[in-house]
Amino acid sequence: MLESWIALARGPLLRLALFAMALGLLRHVLLQVWEIFWALRRAGDQVVPWGLALRRNLEWLLPWRYLQRKERRLYNFTSFIFHVGVIVVPVFLAGHVAIWQQELGISWWRLPGSVADWLAVATVVAAVGLLLGRMLNQASRTISKPQDWLLPLLCAVPFVTGFWVAHPSWSPLGLQAVYLVHLLSAELLILLVPFSKLVHMVLFWTSQTSSELGWRFPPGSGERVRLSLGKDSEGV
Amino acid sequence: MQLGATSLPDVPAETLAGLCPPRLTSEKIQERLSYIIEKDRIAGDLPRRFLEVFAAILQHTNYRQVIDNYARIPARCANCSCACQIYQRTNAPEDVPCYRSDLLLEVYRRHFTLRGIVEEHLRITPLLTDEYILEMAETYYHCTACRRCTLECPLGIDHGLVTHLARYVLSEIGLVPRALVISTRAQLEGPTRNTSAIPWPAIADSLEFLEEEIFDDKSIKVKFPIDKPDREFIFFAPVSDYLMEAETLMGIAVTLDAIGLGDAWTISSEFLDGINYGLFYSDWILERCLREEVDQAKRLRSQKILIGECGHASRSAKAFVKTFGGGRDAPPVVNIMELTHRAFKEGKIKFDPDVVTERVTYHDPCNLARSGWIVDQPRELIRAFCKDFVEMTPGGKWNLCCGGGGGTVSVDELRPYRTHVVGSKKAEQIAATGAHYVIAPCANCKKQLREVCQDNGLTDVEVVGLHDLIYKAIVLD
Ligand code: SF4
Ligand code: SF4
Repeated sequence: MLESWIALARGPLLRLALFAMALGLLRHVLLQVWEIFWALRRAGDQVVPWGLALRRNLEWLLPWRYLQRKERRLYNFTSFIFHVGVIVVPVFLAGHVAIWQQELGISWWRLPGSVADWLAVATVVAAVGLLLGRMLNQASRTISKPQDWLLPLLCAVPFVTGFWVAHPSWSPLGLQAVYLVHLLSAELLILLVPFSKLVHMVLFWTSQTSSELGWRFPPGSGERVRLSLGKDSEGV
Repeated sequence: MQLGATSLPDVPAETLAGLCPPRLTSEKIQERLSYIIEKDRIAGDLPRRFLEVFAAILQHTNYRQVIDNYARIPARCANCSCACQIYQRTNAPEDVPCYRSDLLLEVYRRHFTLRGIVEEHLRITPLLTDEYILEMAETYYHCTACRRCTLECPLGIDHGLVTHLARYVLSEIGLVPRALVISTRAQLEGPTRNTSAIPWPAIADSLEFLEEEIFDDKSIKVKFPIDKPDREFIFFAPVSDYLMEAETLMGIAVTLDAIGLGDAWTISSEFLDGINYGLFYSDWILERCLREEVDQAKRLRSQKILIGECGHASRSAKAFVKTFGGGRDAPPVVNIMELTHRAFKEGKIKFDPDVVTERVTYHDPCNLARSGWIVDQPRELIRAFCKDFVEMTPGGKWNLCCGGGGGTVSVDELRPYRTHVVGSKKAEQIAATGAHYVIAPCANCKKQLREVCQDNGLTDVEVVGLHDLIYKAIVLD
């Protein structure tokens, strides 16, 4: 019984989830690129510091920037570890690479098993740490929305269950049940990417550029806004 | 993803009565936000009008791509709260930059994205109520748009930009501080063509008087060039420099004379006020002010625009003259401190280091320093004539706002808030330096810092412009 569920989750469901994610992300990227293209066309000043925007993005990807200051240092570092974990493990774990090879026909470098184990543990710890950091900081706690609490928890599930799949002796449940939970939780996450803040995995890259372009106004736009509001004859 | 604005669901008023917060009367609004523009402008259905304006602005500008991005990615990590001096002082949730920006972003999500529109229709009570709009009107004028928090956001969310946009939308439905509107009206549509509504003869008199002052102080004849064609620079300063902050203007005139540019600049009698409140609340105003400047440059055939000691006047010209003044052909924009600094590097200015003996500190205007544009130049100049210069910490790109940024300094009703909440860290900073002179090369910062010092008991501090002290220390051969 469980076996057929696993087969379903491992095959068609996984493909469906990945396909939906790819499609959703593609839509976001295309719309973003399209909007940026038009914004640039309309802008009166078309000089955009692309390099600076890119550099700022890269700066935030590496931890040294926030290691230098004391506020929320631990939180930001935890976040760094978490991000490394959620990117590296799914993509480079040996077992996953085997699936990619089977599905896509391409293969790449595999993460050594022991490193993967430690990274998985670190990711789970980091997920809990992120929740604590959110809970214990008044500002962060009060601005958080449901997805901010649920997503780290949901991210931890495939890691915990994945660890148990690799080390069944640690697992409180049967291997098959754990494996099924592993697959389904991962697929749910993948599916949620385009619809939640996880979409920052693609939109992050353009946010600095978007900000710069936001400050590039189209000449005459103020006048056109007034016109379309029927206020063209009104004064200041 | 990107659809037009939806109007609020058409539910009969009686059904809503029990569910919705009651409509606010314009008297109520006046009571809460006494500094907001004239009563008769804010009648009617605020939420509906807010959405109409928001939709029109999104359609005609470049904000949509950035707002859409911001609406989807926030991490809500609260990094920005560590950088905001308001939140650091109040610890109030509504002062977290991300919270404030989310007020507008949530309106965008609810009314301009597919998912939000569905959500909005599934609810009985709408998101956008009179109360919600008032909260925005209040909070977006608490934020000074200093953009310090932007340096801290890992996702690059620019809260200064969101504040600017929110104020723009609010201003088009009549929610904008009266002080800003009255000044702008005088500048763009009044007979005097400046924000303080001072008639030209009074300014001309004042300039003549300043020439005499300079002669008395320095025994040199310096003329303020008025309407001289074909000069390299056309000069715009905040109009207050012509009367209240005359030392700054005298310092600038003497400096330009000393470095051999006395015949290279001109003031336009038709439009001389560099103030541009559009940067704070309206793209429409921003463009109109800058077009005036560019037109004057054309009229007098000046090649470059020179801006006096003023943060927002400098930034608005530097960043937007290109936008509204013809792209690459637009006249370049220079700030006076850049010019003085260059002349100093070329050895064209000499200072007497024994004139200014008191301790001096320097306040970075956000609009000059946040982008790293003008940070080191004034410091090099100050060090050249002053032996006892102390830095405020943090400073430079990471400076704290004076507390009156974003035009709030003009709003007298906000003074207690500006000096005791937003400016209190600044007061601590100034006190910690033990300085007698605080140099603030910006008309807005000067006014605000004086009030900060007054209200926080810093009686020994004198707030001055950079060229005020240069005027004292410069050596003329
Ligand atoms: S730093 Fe950026 S992502 Fe984090 S809470 Fe502030 S605005 Fe949101
Ligand atoms: S722009 Fe300045 S005042 Fe406004 S939220 Fe950011 S740090 Fe605070």
